[in-house]
Amino acid sequence: MRYFQPATLDEALAIRRGNDVVPLAGATDVYPARAGRRAWGDPTHKDVLDLSRIEALRGIEDRGDHVRIGALATWTDLIRADLPPLFDGMKRAAREVGGVQVQNRGTVVGNACTASPAGDGIPNLLALDAAFEIEGPSPRLVPAEAFFTGYRATACGPHDIVAAIRIPKREGRGHFVKLGARRYLVISIAMVAAALETDAAGRIVSARIAVGACSAAAGRLPLLEAALPGAPLTDAPALVEPRHLAHLTPIDDIRASAGYRMAAALALVGDALADLSRPAARVA
Amino acid sequence: MTDPMPGLTGPRARHGSTLGQPLTRRDGVLKVTGAARYAADNHPPGMLYAVLAVSRVARGRVTFLDVEAARAVPGVVEVMTHANAPRLATDPDEKTNPFAFRLNVLQSDRVRFPNQPIAVVIAETLEAATEGAERLAPRFDEEPARAALDDGEVFTPAVVGAGSPADVAHGEVEAGLGAASHRVEATYDTPAQYHNTMETHAVVAAWDGNRLSLDLPSQALAMTQMRLGQLLGIMPGDIHIRSPFLGGGFGSKAGVSGPQLLGIMAARLLGRPVKLVLSREQAFGPVGHRAPTRQTLRLGADGEGRLTALHHHTRTATSSFDDFYEAASGASHSLYASPAIRTSHDAVRLDTGTPTFMRAPGEAPGSLALECAMDEMAEACGMDPLAFRLANYAEVEPMTGRPFSSKALRECYEQGAARFGWAGRPLAPRQMRDEAGLLVGWGMGTATFPALMFQGQARAVIRADGTGLMETGAHDMGQGAWTALAQVAADGLGLPIDAVEFRAGSSDLPDAGIAGGSAHMATAGMAVHEAAAAAIARLADLATGDERSPLFGAGNAGVVARDGRLVRRDDESRHESYADILARAGVAEIEGRGRAARDPAAGADYAMHAHGAVFAEVKVDPELGQIRATRLVGAFAVGRVINPRLVQSQLYGGMIWGLSFALHEKAVVDRRSGRVMNANLGEYHVPVNADVPPMEAILVEEHDPYVNALGIKGVGEIGITGSAGAIANAVRHATGTRVRSFPIGLADLLA
Repeated sequence: MRYFQPATLDEALAIRRGNDVVPLAGATDVYPARAGRRAWGDPTHKDVLDLSRIEALRGIEDRGDHVRIGALATWTDLIRADLPPLFDGMKRAAREVGGVQVQNRGTVVGNACTASPAGDGIPNLLALDAAFEIEGPSPRLVPAEAFFTGYRATACGPHDIVAAIRIPKREGRGHFVKLGARRYLVISIAMVAAALETDAAGRIVSARIAVGACSAAAGRLPLLEAALPGAPLTDAPALVEPRHLAHLTPIDDIRASAGYRMAAALALVGDALADLSRPAARVA
Repeated sequence: MTDPMPGLTGPRARHGSTLGQPLTRRDGVLKVTGAARYAADNHPPGMLYAVLAVSRVARGRVTFLDVEAARAVPGVVEVMTHANAPRLATDPDEKTNPFAFRLNVLQSDRVRFPNQPIAVVIAETLEAATEGAERLAPRFDEEPARAALDDGEVFTPAVVGAGSPADVAHGEVEAGLGAASHRVEATYDTPAQYHNTMETHAVVAAWDGNRLSLDLPSQALAMTQMRLGQLLGIMPGDIHIRSPFLGGGFGSKAGVSGPQLLGIMAARLLGRPVKLVLSREQAFGPVGHRAPTRQTLRLGADGEGRLTALHHHTRTATSSFDDFYEAASGASHSLYASPAIRTSHDAVRLDTGTPTFMRAPGEAPGSLALECAMDEMAEACGMDPLAFRLANYAEVEPMTGRPFSSKALRECYEQGAARFGWAGRPLAPRQMRDEAGLLVGWGMGTATFPALMFQGQARAVIRADGTGLMETGAHDMGQGAWTALAQVAADGLGLPIDAVEFRAGSSDLPDAGIAGGSAHMATAGMAVHEAAAAAIARLADLATGDERSPLFGAGNAGVVARDGRLVRRDDESRHESYADILARAGVAEIEGRGRAARDPAAGADYAMHAHGAVFAEVKVDPELGQIRATRLVGAFAVGRVINPRLVQSQLYGGMIWGLSFALHEKAVVDRRSGRVMNANLGEYHVPVNADVPPMEAILVEEHDPYVNALGIKGVGEIGITGSAGAIANAVRHATGTRVRSFPIGLADLLA
């Protein structure tokens, strides 16, 4: 196994072009994935492109109309960043990714690039209409819905590196609920991220809601999003119907059955909306 | 020998006996500062690193290993495979005693379970050894895996557990069932579980000619030394094992494991010290586990709620090549009165590593099934679960009629129920909710574990300066042996605890017996007690026989040892310090040796068990099925308590493992390949602090004159029993759903 540790993004891109490498930021996915493969009888490891020395990829920045999360920004960086209520769900997810040690090392961008169906950041990025800054042979900005293309698959090509995620700043509040086999330190069975804007009268202006761990890739709930605007927020939980989730395709795995996941996702969407209808202090 | 606990600062000196005092751990500062040296922390000069390559198939043969590719990695020194591994003096498949488990140490190309070692790569650095192991690219001639309880041919083993008969009956079970007013028949499934000690198995081995020096975590120093001597063809006395601290053992470090022996073999092959440490995922196979069980209980009860019959049958599994059978039915031997009891076992052979003793072997799964079945019968009889258990209280051991050496279980029920607030519990399930709308349930279970004792030895010395030394090869697995045994030593020697140097955790000390079966405190504690008494007796002889001593002639009246002095029993004004007695006699030091063993007559005449009662509260989300244990109260009668702080800690630990058994722990086995699919702590859940509810462990007063002179019954394992059943019963009470497959998961509670 070879281990590359460049100091600039240009060098990193050159290495990426010339070698079959797995990019590494915090190593909190790369390391257990390797242990998992070894447990399954495959001890081999792809060469590693360690991005952690590239200073330009650090930090979370307010750029006026959007917040830019660099590829090396950790969950802890996110928790500590001064961000508007729209990011409350993202912050909740950050607090539920593993323990503090993992939050200190794991990165938001890395979580997205691993593209696990159970990645805790992903439903939030979908609900927040995030966009991915991809550097490589053809630099481009890819919306989250186009970035997550399937099970552990993304629009980031073999010669590309995601340099940052941009999240547009809007009105409204975000929220996130996660269900696992225990309270903390657990991989999600189902999770829901929501970003809601309400008017002065408490009516929903816009709603963006995404469900994770219930299909090969996390996905939004367009039918529900279309049904909610105009309704009082307090009525929202009662408006959730099974048909709003009918396009999800959960699977049976060692953590839960498909049937349970579907029922749980339905309950969690209601819970998320109910939480949002309470004063902010209750859900922060 | 180097001091295993350098710089140890003990607690404040206390006057009077230290027995019963809640001293904090004497090794606590070393642990929290990182100064405590565990096996893998050792790096002798010239040491090499060994990394295992393991099998991905469950059964078959290794047909190819790319040894050349591994050797080509810079830093790799050697690749040990079945082709070049040293042969052993004794075949590791030879069963030299029932607890000498067969070891898979590259003596052939045969693969008998997933994660079996198939090669060891030894290198100058850990990285090079790891890289070398990656490049071996093994190929296998694979045979189908037998992975589940239904995959094998069923047979009845000769013995189960530590040598109990597989099938025992007392009275007429079928007649008792036939005559019963209420009958319950239910089957409970428990999964394979892996010990998952925080410290994975490790060894640092260094040879000097035919002498072997080892850093190796061990629950059984003398037994391990003996076994290694046989396998390696050297004298056991030429093997020195240092094991000052274990990061958990739970039964898996009672013998030498195959991987550890491979590290020792590699060191011999290369003539240099070698370190080998298992990765977490490699520990799912070659170092033991608890086998799955399927337990069927058939109970009959009369119109008054008294048992008329109890049949507890267990199906379990062992490996294809060795024998260990989880004796789960044994839990029904001694707990509840019934005119007819039968406990039986059968088994299948699977392509797994050999199961072994793990956290209350037998009792843990057995108690879970029994306590659930008792609750099911209480419900059938329309009785409160506690009232039903009291109606079936065993005044004597039910299958033998022997009296109990002591049994304060009634007091455990009373004190536990009072503290928990059991009175007023609605009989019917699904009656209670909290303010957030969560379902609330209360359940209980009876805890029980045999009060065992092995054979052990210790050596005590009183030195010229009046201080003491106590030596015994005891094992601190985190339970607090360093502290509690030092308390017994100080008490026996009549010295403040800081005036006694206590040595343990090394194989060159007297054999303290194994740290297992919850018997270490009774065994090593009694050896220490006897050694101290022998030393004091010799000191008393010196003083009372010397006319220059103020104690001259006190032979009949006797003396007591207190604060470094011998004091005449009938005249406390006459006393003399240890230092003065030795100085006048011109003796540099005196020694006493102690041996401990159960009094065979008492062991034959009395049934000896610790008991307890555990009460649990759970809350369940009615829509998601999420379960949280919210309260656990246990009351335990465990005989004499040497250190209540450490005993409570042991009981809390046991109760947490009970919670783990009921709600968390499970090895998920892939039916096709036989591999464990969640061989990591991310997905094999053991409880973390956030999973642990507020807990109380009440120590119920109990004096037992028969178990041993100190009255110690042991506390290592009883906490897990009763607790798992209490939580399962609380889930039933909360939801109305009886789940009989463990651990109970969220989806089990949604219709």
